[in-house]
Amino acid sequence: MHDTAVLSPSANRIGLETYRFALLRDRLSRVALWFCGCIGLLLPVSIIGYLIIEGIHCVSWSFLLDYPKGTPLGTEGGIRPAVEGSLALASIGLSVAFPLALGGGLYLSEYSHSKQFNQIVRFLVECLAAVPSIIYGLFGYAFLVVFLKFGISLIAGGLVLALIMFPILLIAVQESLRSVDDAYREMGLSLGVTRLYLIRRVLLRKAWRGIVAGIVLAVGHAVGSAAPVLFTASIYFSKGGLGLDRPVMTLPTHLYNLVSEAISFDQAFGTALVLIAGLLIFNASAMLLRRLGGGSTQ
Amino acid sequence: MTRPFLSKTHCWSDAAVKALSFLALGAGVSFLLLMIVFVLRESSLGSGFAMNLFDFLVREPWAPMATPPSHGIFHAWISTLVVTGLSLALAIPLGFGIGLFLSEVAPRWVQQAMQPALEVLAGIPAVVYGFFGYVTLVRNFETWFDMSAGECLLIAGLILAVMVLPFVASTAAEAFRSVAQDLREMAYGLGVTQLYVMRRVLFRKALPGLFAAVALGLARALGETLAVLMLAGNTVAVPHSLMDRGQPLTALLATELGETVVHSAKYEALFASGFILLIVVLGINAIIWTLKHRYLERSHA
Repeated sequence: MHDTAVLSPSANRIGLETYRFALLRDRLSRVALWFCGCIGLLLPVSIIGYLIIEGIHCVSWSFLLDYPKGTPLGTEGGIRPAVEGSLALASIGLSVAFPLALGGGLYLSEYSHSKQFNQIVRFLVECLAAVPSIIYGLFGYAFLVVFLKFGISLIAGGLVLALIMFPILLIAVQESLRSVDDAYREMGLSLGVTRLYLIRRVLLRKAWRGIVAGIVLAVGHAVGSAAPVLFTASIYFSKGGLGLDRPVMTLPTHLYNLVSEAISFDQAFGTALVLIAGLLIFNASAMLLRRLGGGSTQ
Repeated sequence: MTRPFLSKTHCWSDAAVKALSFLALGAGVSFLLLMIVFVLRESSLGSGFAMNLFDFLVREPWAPMATPPSHGIFHAWISTLVVTGLSLALAIPLGFGIGLFLSEVAPRWVQQAMQPALEVLAGIPAVVYGFFGYVTLVRNFETWFDMSAGECLLIAGLILAVMVLPFVASTAAEAFRSVAQDLREMAYGLGVTQLYVMRRVLFRKALPGLFAAVALGLARALGETLAVLMLAGNTVAVPHSLMDRGQPLTALLATELGETVVHSAKYEALFASGFILLIVVLGINAIIWTLKHRYLERSHA
């Protein structure tokens, strides 16, 4: 049994060879783990670096602010309608999902008395978060586009994104409220204020950083996903202008169309870089907020 | 966890906020149930479809244009299985390695650099992964292996492995970290090597958490759409090797749904495959939930 080698060679039954072999294997395993770690660090750096190097020459103010041009459409010009569409979808989604998630998180953390109820709801919410985004797309298509006759439109896509954001936001609200020290609640209530006042003036002030970080994560997730808006909101090209009942272009579906129809790889690199840069700035601000205190109670 | 001092509602505004927030919670959560019911309804699985499940899953080919049309999804779930299996076979060892590295070996500053790196990897959208795989791997495969079109299941699996890696790695790291420090100290005190501690102590103690990491990666890989849509090749033929083109379930849905007549047989077949995917993912999620709770309870005990 060489793997029970004991480091102290004083035990005579275990020979020097076994001892050296065990040390060698130990050292090799550490090398292997460092190797794994390096891969984990190099992967994101090289992917982002590659996209920046290949895409930076395609990105300019006119790329961001122009409409798609050329034949076939999209070979020249810019991606302005896609940027507008993505931002509009995300803001509709957020303005629907955030009030619901805030209310839900408040109820779970401040009003609910039953631990069992909380667990069941939390399980359902985590299920909602685990559902693949293509299923949200299917559901949105069948329910919103076809059944409710919204058509392929900004509002249908926005509502689907709201569904995707809801569980992320709810978990963020609940967790950041829960991490506020109970002492604040006791102090507030013993001073005789109402619970609403306590929530407004104490708990939300303590928890806002975590909640904002949750918002940024949810929006970043929703902006980047193409599968749910593919059948509910997006078209190949729009001349710009937004209307709730009209379809829009979005950044991820635009990138998908550029590649799958082999329209223009230069434009695709530019679109990918804009998307990635936007999301990175979003994620970085979330991280910064968490570092500045997160849901901490200090 | 109970807060008795919060148990009384003092005035009408409190009651209103309580009711409103309960409504918000109900509205949000009920959408999950609505989604399950609705996808099931659209698939018409209830009306005699269950009897045809075998035909649907195994026997019939996907040939909606043939006469009579047939809608079997054998090729799709085989492709899904191959791509998912390949991606997990790559991501699990690497992810566990990164997990061990983070919790046992890495110096503090490397740990701090690693956390955001994994978050960035998890934050890159699927469509960008698909594009990245297309311009790096697909094009080169065409010249390296002399293929007419470079898309194949191998590439889809490789890129998918990168996509699930951050989820597997960070869950595994958490699992290894949650092993009690005393156990490590005891083991080292007996004079065994670090490798021995990892293999015989950490792996055993962290097992439920590691299962959860695998399940999480599995759920992610099964539901991933855009990357496999762009990289797997999208053909309805049943794949025979890793270098063949294929069409995972999610890619089938994304390709066909836009061009399908509502409530036709094809539409119902698509929703049936979506429903199967949904049920599988929810089942995996239930397993993750149970494992997480079991080992949370144990680490609190």
